[in-house]
Amino acid sequence: MNPQASWEEVEHLFHQAVDLPAQERQALLASASAPVRAEVESLLKADDKAFFAAPPVHLAADLVEHQPGALTAGQSVGKYEIESLITIGGMGEVYRAHDPSGTPVALKILRRHLVASPHAVDRFETEARAASALHHPNIVAVYESGDSPAGLFIAMEWVEGRTFRELMSAGAVEAAQAINWGTQAAGALAAAHAAGILHRDIKPENIMVRDDGVLKILDFGLARLAEPVRIEPNSVGASGTISGTLSGTLLYMSPEIFRGENARSASDVFSLGTLFYEMWTGKHPFAGETPLDVFEAIECRLVAAPSTLRDGIPHEIDALILRMLDRDSANRPSAHEACEVFSRFSERP
Amino acid sequence: MIPQGEVTGLLTAWGKGDQNALNELMPIVYSELHRMARRAWSGQNQGNTLQPTALINEAYLKLAGAESASYQNRSHFFAVACTAMRQILVNHAKSRQTGKRGSGQFVLSLDDVQPAVNQEASEVVALHEALEKLQAIDDRKSKVVEMRYFGGLSIEETAEALGISVITVNRDWRLARTWLVREMSGNGS
Repeated sequence: MNPQASWEEVEHLFHQAVDLPAQERQALLASASAPVRAEVESLLKADDKAFFAAPPVHLAADLVEHQPGALTAGQSVGKYEIESLITIGGMGEVYRAHDPSGTPVALKILRRHLVASPHAVDRFETEARAASALHHPNIVAVYESGDSPAGLFIAMEWVEGRTFRELMSAGAVEAAQAINWGTQAAGALAAAHAAGILHRDIKPENIMVRDDGVLKILDFGLARLAEPVRIEPNSVGASGTISGTLSGTLLYMSPEIFRGENARSASDVFSLGTLFYEMWTGKHPFAGETPLDVFEAIECRLVAAPSTLRDGIPHEIDALILRMLDRDSANRPSAHEACEVFSRFSERP
Repeated sequence: MIPQGEVTGLLTAWGKGDQNALNELMPIVYSELHRMARRAWSGQNQGNTLQPTALINEAYLKLAGAESASYQNRSHFFAVACTAMRQILVNHAKSRQTGKRGSGQFVLSLDDVQPAVNQEASEVVALHEALEKLQAIDDRKSKVVEMRYFGGLSIEETAEALGISVITVNRDWRLARTWLVREMSGNGS
């Protein structure tokens, strides 16, 4: 508020001016002193309709329904008994639980009221069913999905191990290891694609490697529940690269998804290619300072061949990763083809 | 359980200008509203929206008692209750903002999309901060917003609770809204 404009004067002029037609309003404002006029003009420009149109109903619902981590050990969800809380997220929680036979499961609970649209809930249910039909050693098994008083739930295979994010935190991965993981990951994706199921959200957080070396892709088809991605300009981390939830959303997204097109199997291949690039070189091909930089990189940046960043990458793998990152989805190899390339190397002594 | 007479006594004392009475009243109203809100919601169908006014009315009947309390006490109670609703929502919004976390093992991939509730949480905190600035300039207008937005009171109920005319509430509400929106958009002069 301008210190030279008295609040009473501002208030008086505002109410006089607010309902006047444009011309009369101008004339009235012109007669006021400069500071009062400036203050009132700035107020008249503010559009309060959208903000005050609706009370914060989602927040209120969240307050009374959703107590983060509300389920405690011994409580039941479906036939599963809760053991402990693993993580809390914006739309629900993940618990460790077990079924009546004592087999441990990861129980993902989605609070229905936190999901933006009813359509998204339908899609979630459809896709959870589809994912539960996938049986592959490298895909986390979905045992069951259903509804409970606590919310929608998915019971899935419990995986003890580390995510790709953690495994890659030290930089590039040793070649034999990268070939082995590449074979497993591409093989899992190929099997899903053969069954007509897309992942839609391949990223390092969604791939785990068990302590015995078996790789597991998590959350098939469960992503992209809500409405279009929101880009938050302030979610750039101190490190200068995009941090937090945004990294997962944006950095592994294919150009066609950015353009608003439907996901296809080649979109998953692109995301996996990005991850492979990072795994082999220790560098993300589309890293940027801001979300906009990342957009631009994915749309336009010329990707340097992995072999220019690290010695000893076999030519076939070098070329494969670049093809996986082709901007034209039609030019990308299938997940099956990628798996075959890696497995040829893994068979070599 | 708080005896009804105590709340009525506090309301009367506050009505006579005893600020300590308000300090004692607030936590009682706060916890009762919080408890009622949870109960009102549980067991009902999804998609229901919380009705702050209904809660406040119910809390009033429960805490003050329908017969023992004067008309004036009722207005005072509504004022306290709306402030309590504001605190409840703002506290929850803040916990939402800081409570988000993801551990290495199972990260909810769904968290990538900002759900409506997080959006509202940051809006409510922004409004709360802007409202504190407005209060320094014009206390009454900040009260009007508190009652209308956080308490869900109608224009008439707000007028009654604050002891001012409907016309004044309308005018205050209108100016306060534009002032707050401008403040929140960072264009305040």
